[in-house]
Amino acid sequence: MSSQPGRRLDSRTTDEGDDVAGVVELDRHAAVEAQGLVKHYPGVEAVRGVDLRVQAGEVFGFLGPNGAGKSTTVRMLTTLLSITEGSARVAGHDVARDPDAVRRAIGVALQEAGLDPRQTGRELLELQARLFGMSAQTAAGRARELLALVELEDAADRRIKGYSGGMKRRLDLASALVHEPEVLFLDEPTTGLDPASRLTVWDEVRRVNDRGTTVFLTTQYLEEADQLCDRLAIIAGGRIVREGTPARLKAELRERRGLAAEPTLDDVFLDATGRTRDRVAGDVQEVSA
Amino acid sequence: MSAAWVLGKRALREGRRTPDALLPTLFIPLFFLVVNVGQAAKIFPAASTEFLHGQGYGAFQLPSSLLLAASFGTAALFLVEEIEGGYFDKLRASPVPRSAIVLGRLIAELVKAVAITTVLVLLGLAFGISIASGPVGFVLLVALTALWAVVFVGFMQIIALKTRSAAATNSAGLVFFPLLFLTPNFVPRDLLTRPMEIAATLNPVTYVMEALRSLILEDLEWGTIAPGFAVVLALGAVMLALNVRVIQRYD
Repeated sequence: MSSQPGRRLDSRTTDEGDDVAGVVELDRHAAVEAQGLVKHYPGVEAVRGVDLRVQAGEVFGFLGPNGAGKSTTVRMLTTLLSITEGSARVAGHDVARDPDAVRRAIGVALQEAGLDPRQTGRELLELQARLFGMSAQTAAGRARELLALVELEDAADRRIKGYSGGMKRRLDLASALVHEPEVLFLDEPTTGLDPASRLTVWDEVRRVNDRGTTVFLTTQYLEEADQLCDRLAIIAGGRIVREGTPARLKAELRERRGLAAEPTLDDVFLDATGRTRDRVAGDVQEVSA
Repeated sequence: MSAAWVLGKRALREGRRTPDALLPTLFIPLFFLVVNVGQAAKIFPAASTEFLHGQGYGAFQLPSSLLLAASFGTAALFLVEEIEGGYFDKLRASPVPRSAIVLGRLIAELVKAVAITTVLVLLGLAFGISIASGPVGFVLLVALTALWAVVFVGFMQIIALKTRSAAATNSAGLVFFPLLFLTPNFVPRDLLTRPMEIAATLNPVTYVMEALRSLILEDLEWGTIAPGFAVVLALGAVMLALNVRVIQRYD
């Protein structure tokens, strides 16, 4: 996990934990900021006023049940969806007013690795590099570096449609890193992967973060959030219902409920989303808020 | 424009790697050409049919096959596939003008249509059809057909972007058949019944077909050729503008 140099003190982080208390504003800007973010679809209010602040260098986890508004929020922050109300800045750029600047600063790997199955891994990375303005020669060099980084050199010249799920995820991650983005958005990067592939992706996320890239990660796997994230927010029904470091969130729940043992992040999640363990126990019982 | 070209080259590579999607655009028009000629050639003998200008009925029918070949719109189906698979969002999240994403596909369609039209015309030449307007006419024939392909795929891309559905996009492509059959497809316009003649006159595809036919059967008759190019250029401008508008508003 990142050491988070330059974290700033604000009202939200002050409430969250001892680890940031006393830290004053340094030279790092917020990598992602959202205020009152709302997304309406006809007849549906998918996101209902989300406020977020992610510091540069953090791995920020964004958790929530299916349909809670995670992906919609990420799609607004990455310029893929228009914002109905509110405002957002990513890497210092206004998402609505300057989407091109945001796109230059971010890397995006969305749910279900979005890859062109007819290209080879190398071609895909070279194309992505060209789209970020690199010359053909530079793009070829960058593709080689990234293929080595995600250990896909042997499969580089095979068409993507023949890749396994884990290989596709690693390639998608590599394509999101082609221009060394300031902020990397990963939308459920390990969903559907086997445990070994999941660990590989975690390693990549840590490595990317160690190089200074802020990571905004959505996931349904609480263990993943616990392992990777410096701080996290839980969204339910289109609103942020908890935010803080994993340790702080667990401590808060233990204190509030007067628990004898430290709760897990699962307990925090269930509590935040209005569910209980009993209601999700068993493999056929319905889970509802 | 450079992003559009880079994406266009990618779309061309995609076309080369899916010959199963391209081959029908060659064989189905040839099939229609053979069947239509087989059904009507005896009714219109070359020696006594004035509108054939001394050529066989195959020369009269070739434009229909060229237009059919140019109206498959496979690029739009690839686009839907890309939307459904998520790669489209990857492209939208990159800092290229969104118009480049649709322009790249239109550029690739133009190149593919030039290749397919050239093959079809060369096959026609091998079976005795001649291009009465000469080498310049040959080039104009290929260019006009390829521009029509861009117009039609532009229309299908709009459907693809609006519906994001392969089924809807595929169905929209069928609109070409009424347009084709409301042209002077089997005989010149002045031999059609009055209602059909009115319908053909209102149908823009008629002018493209008549221009193509003129290039095959006659010397360079600019009075017939120019309306064909005017139609594809006007419709092309409209489709281009709509494509750009729809992708920029894509949410």
